[in-house]
Amino acid sequence: MIKSSYRVQRKISRLTLYAVLLSFGIVLLLPVAWMVTVSFRPNVEVLKIPPTWIPEKFTFDSYKKVLTNLRYLRCFWNSYFVSLTVTLLALFFGSLSGYGLARFNFRGKRALILFLLATQTFPLVLLSLPYFQVVVKLGLYDNLLSLILVYLSFCLPFSILMLRNYFQELPIELEEAAMVDGCTRLGALWRVTIRISFPAMVGTGLYTFLLAWNEFLFAMIVVESWSNRVLTIAIYSLLSEFVTDWTTMMSFSALASLPIIIAFIFLQKYVIRGMTMGAIK
Amino acid sequence: MVETGILRSNKFFTLKKMQAYFFVLPGIIILLVLLVYPLIQVMVLSFFQGNLLEREFIGLSNYIQLFSDPVFWKALLQTSYFTINSVIFHFLIGLSLALILNQHINSNIRSLFRGFLIIPWLLAPTVAAMIWILIYNPFGMLNGLLTSFNLLSGRGQSINWIGNPNLSLLSVTVVNIWRGYPFTMVMLLAALQGIPDELYEAARIDGASPIKSFFYITIPALKGTMFTVGLLDIIWTFRHFDIIFAMTGGGPMNSSEVMTTHIYNLAFRSLKWGYAAAEAVIMFLVMLIFSTFYIRNLKKGETGND
Repeated sequence: MIKSSYRVQRKISRLTLYAVLLSFGIVLLLPVAWMVTVSFRPNVEVLKIPPTWIPEKFTFDSYKKVLTNLRYLRCFWNSYFVSLTVTLLALFFGSLSGYGLARFNFRGKRALILFLLATQTFPLVLLSLPYFQVVVKLGLYDNLLSLILVYLSFCLPFSILMLRNYFQELPIELEEAAMVDGCTRLGALWRVTIRISFPAMVGTGLYTFLLAWNEFLFAMIVVESWSNRVLTIAIYSLLSEFVTDWTTMMSFSALASLPIIIAFIFLQKYVIRGMTMGAIK
Repeated sequence: MVETGILRSNKFFTLKKMQAYFFVLPGIIILLVLLVYPLIQVMVLSFFQGNLLEREFIGLSNYIQLFSDPVFWKALLQTSYFTINSVIFHFLIGLSLALILNQHINSNIRSLFRGFLIIPWLLAPTVAAMIWILIYNPFGMLNGLLTSFNLLSGRGQSINWIGNPNLSLLSVTVVNIWRGYPFTMVMLLAALQGIPDELYEAARIDGASPIKSFFYITIPALKGTMFTVGLLDIIWTFRHFDIIFAMTGGGPMNSSEVMTTHIYNLAFRSLKWGYAAAEAVIMFLVMLIFSTFYIRNLKKGETGND
């Protein structure tokens, strides 16, 4: 008797738990769901009081509009190009410096780590003023190259720190074994350390990609023409250019967010592991 | 074989040191060019008046002028409002969700919810801004929802969440709370999962109530993570720009102006470069205080773990 009532009680408390979780989920994800349902409506159905939760007329028109417009597609390409390049550069230089910090002791190491941690707190708007000046002086205004350079300023310190933390946890014996077998240190780094650091590379890479993909301030400052705009700027410009075309805006936003969301849902364990190591340790 | 000798012996100390610099330097040089040089530049700029082409040294005038500028103080105050409220609610929501997700529930359900609840944080701030501009529209979903619950009588009584100077700061803060809670949730959940079950079992055997074990086991175990996450969140929120700028641009009538949007507007709209630089330097100094705490805390944790 006592046992079964205990079981019932546990079942009830578990059901309450799920109910609370579900209501949290509904409230917190409502804006995302709203973006998705609006993107499938005709424009006349968007601003309505009271709102209709499920589109009365279901249409792919706005997606067609975005995906057949070369000017918009160009922005997708630019975002991918910039974010991927920044990610690869940050991983390359980040693993070199991260490895150096993890494996060697040298003069200035402590100061360097403090500096890297401090960069995580730099207000980017501070850098926007000198960057704009330099970019204009170098003739790199309205050029994706300047975006790539600027994004490295906040992606690189992050990836150095994250990869350093990871390398520190790897046993040094593996590299030494490779070196005994005739590898140079660089060879051992490439053949052994990098190979077994796959989770760290995925985690760091994905987070770096996210940082670059979502950046807005610099993209607004150093890029002007539509052919060089990245997605965040394209979305912002849609607001001022066609104030009323909410369905296009929402399908554009959904298309810009979907790849990131999918990647994170599948790879979240790598990112979360890296993030907790990077930020907490 | 020779390489191992180099690694381990002190004779080749300098060679080993050279190796260290070979690995570290490329990244460091990039950061010197991209971070240290601009930082010096902006400090220099703050003592000048003028535009990109010609400038004139005016000493501390920018700073003096700034301290008597009511908009600067307003922006500072509003930045604090934005930051304090965001961080508090990130914690309330993030901690509740982390505690719920840490219960003994089906692990598939847990990862499903964790995956979905993280989505707001993945959205670009501009995307979040656009979604909420649509929601906040006088004829948008929020007013519609309020009407359905009879909190608004619909016709003619719609609230202009962004356009009303009394509401704009609150409205953008809500968006930032909504977009930022997943970071706190994820970090606290990771920390919670690191607490060994045995601790709770031992407490239960000793007759401690769940509330007692929450205050005597959970909270002390989370303290370090909460401190770091809180500081990081303060820093990130204090320097936040994207959502506010995309939604209101700092307006109407500076009612949602924070330091970052004020700096941007001064530099890129009013073209007062030196003046903007002075405010940026002040902001940097304020943030330096936070980052000192953050770094000191991290260092403590690191030596503690060793």
